[in-house]
Amino acid sequence: MSGASHEGTSPSTVKERAEIALNNEFLRKAVKFTTERLRTGKKSASEEHGNWDLWRERGRQIRLHTIAHLDYYLSQFIENARANGVHVHFAATSEEAVELTMAIAKEAGARSVVKSKSMVSEELHINAALEKAGIESVETDLGEYIIQLAGEAPSHIIIPAIHKNRYQIAELLSKEAGKELPPDTSILAGFVRRKLREKFLEADIGMTGCNFAIAETGSIVLFENEGNARMVSTVPKTQITLMGMERIIPTWDDLEVMSTLLPRSATGQKLTVYMSGITGPRRPLDGDGPEEMHIIIVDNGRSLQLGDPEFQELLNCIRCGACLNACPVYRQIGGHAYGGTYSGPIGAVLTPSLNKNIMEWDDIANASSLCGACYEACPVKIPLHDMLVYLRNRKVKNGKRMMLESAGMKGFKLVMGNHKLYESAVKIGRAGQVLVKREGKIKAKIGPLKGWNSYRHLSALPKQSFREAWQELEKDLKQEMREMTAETKQRMEQALKTRKGGGNSHEQH
Amino acid sequence: MSSTEHEAFLRDLREKSLRQQEQFIGNIKQRLGRSGQGGEPPAHPFKGAPDFWQEFELKQDERVNLFMDNWKKAGGHAVQLRTMEEAKRFIVQLSKDLSAKQLLIQNQEELHAMELDRSLNGAEVSVWHQQQGLSVAAGADIGVVVVDYAAAYTGSIIVTSSPDKGRSVSLLPTVMIAIIPAERLYTRVGQVLAHFNGSIREQMPAGIHFISGPSRSADIENDLTIGVHGPGIVYALVVTNE
Repeated sequence: MSGASHEGTSPSTVKERAEIALNNEFLRKAVKFTTERLRTGKKSASEEHGNWDLWRERGRQIRLHTIAHLDYYLSQFIENARANGVHVHFAATSEEAVELTMAIAKEAGARSVVKSKSMVSEELHINAALEKAGIESVETDLGEYIIQLAGEAPSHIIIPAIHKNRYQIAELLSKEAGKELPPDTSILAGFVRRKLREKFLEADIGMTGCNFAIAETGSIVLFENEGNARMVSTVPKTQITLMGMERIIPTWDDLEVMSTLLPRSATGQKLTVYMSGITGPRRPLDGDGPEEMHIIIVDNGRSLQLGDPEFQELLNCIRCGACLNACPVYRQIGGHAYGGTYSGPIGAVLTPSLNKNIMEWDDIANASSLCGACYEACPVKIPLHDMLVYLRNRKVKNGKRMMLESAGMKGFKLVMGNHKLYESAVKIGRAGQVLVKREGKIKAKIGPLKGWNSYRHLSALPKQSFREAWQELEKDLKQEMREMTAETKQRMEQALKTRKGGGNSHEQH
Repeated sequence: MSSTEHEAFLRDLREKSLRQQEQFIGNIKQRLGRSGQGGEPPAHPFKGAPDFWQEFELKQDERVNLFMDNWKKAGGHAVQLRTMEEAKRFIVQLSKDLSAKQLLIQNQEELHAMELDRSLNGAEVSVWHQQQGLSVAAGADIGVVVVDYAAAYTGSIIVTSSPDKGRSVSLLPTVMIAIIPAERLYTRVGQVLAHFNGSIREQMPAGIHFISGPSRSADIENDLTIGVHGPGIVYALVVTNE
């Protein structure tokens, strides 16, 4: 994204980011409402379809099989894609993927790029690189376009602008339109349609992600509702597709299972409005579609999970977002609190795994109540709650506690251990901030705020504190907890037992 | 950029790609604890949908009803017609009702036979053409296609690209009309996918598009908006040919 980086560089912890999220009343309500809607949609869609657990099990088996033979299927995909006329490239790191994209864009003499939604491209921060080279890069998914204008990162994998209300959106789009637009959904969407239609027709390059790649024919498959991914892969002369190396499925038959699981789990739809299978660039006599097609296969930390008995199943993820909607913690704090490209339970496990730095990201694993709702929701049955336990376990084993953290923890313990001390600390803060507070923000780079405020402005202490808001959160959590099934309970007990037994030994799932 | 220079650029990328492929796949093999070439295809016992699902099959009238029901629930319009002549009359009437100025039809036999231009005064009817198809599509009010397949259970039509069938015709116009000959309507998505499974690669169309209603988004405050990028008004005309 073109705005402040949301990864790695942030000095804050999940707890601090969560406090900010909890202070933002609108965000909290919007996230709760949206996740509730999606969760209910998924529930009724899976119930209506029937035999949901049989489908989940089939989905899991296909993913397990493909990942276990990833060398074979990826090679088959590459060979077939090349035979279709696709230029296939490899990127071991995000930097290599950016380099390749820039080389192709410069060679094409590109002035503008239109993009459809791709989580991989969020990993790469490709927009910033393109803009630095003077190439306009436009996100064309409605939600992504809105947050691009705001200079922010997506807060939900399926509904990226979940945290913006229509008044904020109208303000952003009015700036773009050069005139006042009313906060009316259909007028705002109509403006975006016209504006982006021009962008599609002018663009030199279309960039897409890849939901699935079919080994047997070297095809990529895109799921979407707006039609922007179809635009991006139909109008520009050159197409660049960014693909995570684990997106493979063996055959078109297997797509029936994935197309049954993904839309129902993501939004409760029987199928997304568009599901497109793209097999190479346009044929010589075709009238539209890209003349040149590039697929960049990205590793960027994925291969680290291969052969790891505790985390290999992470590669089975089909990026539906169901675990976010199911997670009581996500529903309270929203996506930005996780601080990485991926949020929610999947992000809590995937971010440290992709970054290979468990220590830096360790606190993210604690942003979970281990209730197992994520596993219940997962359409390919990834045992995310077990993985969160493994992650905490590895952190403790590594044993390194930073000096500063320990010192901070002592002070924290002292204050937190005594509610009177805590309350007076907050009161002192509330009184003290009068000196530095401007428009609800604290911008001063003084004392303990120096590091934090060098990057962003700290929200002023709210009238209702995190601790006061906790009562509500706790109530919600308790409701969630009741939903734990016997199966989950058993899994959790098993995980505990294994842990007590000491060491890494753990049964394969 | 001359074409020979561009070819040299692509050749360099290809050589680099081939070098990296060895490393990339080698790393995966090593992580998976495999060595050697291992070119044998692995047995895939869980291919495709569960067995019970493969037996699920509806009768034609059930398929038609379920398809139309799903299409309408997604926000589209659906009608059942007996003949292509009825379909033609429907298209002519709709074009008049909407005061359409520009119609774009795929270069398909069934659509030529309708001779829409003869029945529509005041509206221009263009046929998809590989030369200037895209710009015509960008200005068209209505795009008309005859689908390759349809699937009742998800309420989807399936269109594929070819020199005679542009991807833009079902995408760029404000309104899309899809004609579905009932014999191309299957029960399940899997029955349509089976047409591409194990296909001879040379015969694969570049674009295979499942479309299940009007373009939509809920990105602004979860408020459903229709017609964000693709057509917001979509008609499915199921022709039973009785």
